[in-house]
Amino acid sequence: MGYLNNSVITIDAILTKKGRELLASGQKGFEITQFALSDDEIDYTLYNPSHPSGSAYYGEAIENMPLLEAFPDENQVMKYKLATFPKGTAVMAVLDLGQSSVNMLQVSKKSITPQTLNYLGAGQTSAETGGYIFTISDVRLFSKFQADSKPSDIQVYGTNVSKTVTGNTLNLQATGVNTLFGSRTTLQTTLIVTGVDSGTRLQIPVTIRRSPLYNGGNETT
Amino acid sequence: MENLNPKDIVTSIDSVTSTVWSDNAPTLTHFYTSSVQVAGNSGRFYSSVYQTGSDESNAAVQFDVAYCDEQGSGSVFYNALVTGSSPSRTNYGQYRNLIIGDEYGSFVFGDYTGSYFYAITIDRARYKEKIMLGTMDLSIKKGANVVKLTDNSSIQTTQVFKDAGRKYELVSGSAGTVYTGKNDNGWTTSSGSYGWVLPDVGIILLNGAALDGSAAAGGVLLATGRNSNQNDTGSKKLIDALNTGDVFTLNSEETLSSKYLFIRARNKDYNYTSNPSFISGSTGEILYDSFIYNPKTYVTTVGMYNADQELLAVAKLSRPLLKDFSKEVLLRIKLDF
Repeated sequence: MGYLNNSVITIDAILTKKGRELLASGQKGFEITQFALSDDEIDYTLYNPSHPSGSAYYGEAIENMPLLEAFPDENQVMKYKLATFPKGTAVMAVLDLGQSSVNMLQVSKKSITPQTLNYLGAGQTSAETGGYIFTISDVRLFSKFQADSKPSDIQVYGTNVSKTVTGNTLNLQATGVNTLFGSRTTLQTTLIVTGVDSGTRLQIPVTIRRSPLYNGGNETT
Repeated sequence: MENLNPKDIVTSIDSVTSTVWSDNAPTLTHFYTSSVQVAGNSGRFYSSVYQTGSDESNAAVQFDVAYCDEQGSGSVFYNALVTGSSPSRTNYGQYRNLIIGDEYGSFVFGDYTGSYFYAITIDRARYKEKIMLGTMDLSIKKGANVVKLTDNSSIQTTQVFKDAGRKYELVSGSAGTVYTGKNDNGWTTSSGSYGWVLPDVGIILLNGAALDGSAAAGGVLLATGRNSNQNDTGSKKLIDALNTGDVFTLNSEETLSSKYLFIRARNKDYNYTSNPSFISGSTGEILYDSFIYNPKTYVTTVGMYNADQELLAVAKLSRPLLKDFSKEVLLRIKLDF
């Protein structure tokens, strides 16, 4: 008779850019209250249910793979969250934003209301009860980045910090700050939308075009 | 995302000790200087000591040695018209301000008021938070004369504080054990103690008069040069004596606050994934039929969030961890501050 393995796996964590930002700012926001698990880097097509050596070897190609270290950029980790569904679930939730990219003119407004396919049942599309998590990689590109009608609180310090809001509809207004463009005519960033209940995630590019008619709040003719 | 139970968050404050020197070496036996640094402007004030030749790729400053003199002796005046104003005088004032905090204060080593001393300042990254008391073993040798020095924390009954934190006397001994052959306190016979150990700022002061004394008195006849308006290379003399002595052992001490989070994935949880390779096509069908009633996922990453769902910290496993309806996972995440 052997000993049961009762060991606990201990792993070291690193702070993300957002974590460091909140820790440095001394705001109350640096308080860990929730967790999620993800399977970033796993390619399930490597799982081989017809492995000649039997079921103990189906996951062989995955279980022995070395993993990369954690990235500090909060937008590049926790991409594919593990989710809890009842046994027998045959279809996974799929996020639908109704668009594959966001293109906006300077100071223009836009709303995005995500829907989730298979959320209530196979083939049905609906909004998730818990809403959606919207993360913009560079919040400087917006003067308004709010979920539903919650107050928009954008504080930027010159660097490209991300911002996360939660709700059912994302309301955006592109920045009116001309200096951000420099000599460029467009600014790019990414928008990440994650279903709170399903964990399903989509990342789409965001492009803000400089308006030749916009002059720091004074429209020219 | 799942809320953490407050009982699953534990804060631990631990004292971590390690060696002070590069490559985790417990003892420094060779003491190298940089001819460029010594010849430069900073060389007038102090000499940096490396664990290997300063031009080696792994060379790192271990500590600096500065000679300090109340009268400004042993170094050349900044201006010949201003007598006594020299780097050694500047050093003296600097350490007096830092350690005593009173421009009229004196350095009293044991029962002897010293007017000149050597200051060893350990590189900040090496001593981390503070010098670990009772670990020092410093050997100074010139010719046939040798003294072994340590701090007197093992016999000092009353905690003494200066403006730079705790103060201990530097006495004859080794690794915290005080030698009382010359004096019951481990001092010299007539020049007081061998200096001060200031663990909170990583500074060791060496009483020049004690080292200059005879072997019978407890010194090594270091022969500190105290000529006026003359570079007597005080720090070099001490470094030469360290090289001959061949032993400088010291440990550092640091208080680390760690937060441990215990993450539990119960058997019914986290058995499906939003990973795009888990489904086939655009309508969400699961990749393999066997995954419908016996799904298998692989945990690689743990994300920790605040109430606003902002990702504050992330931890990666060294290899994928299998999760299915028959398995539970318990992970302990360590966050150091």
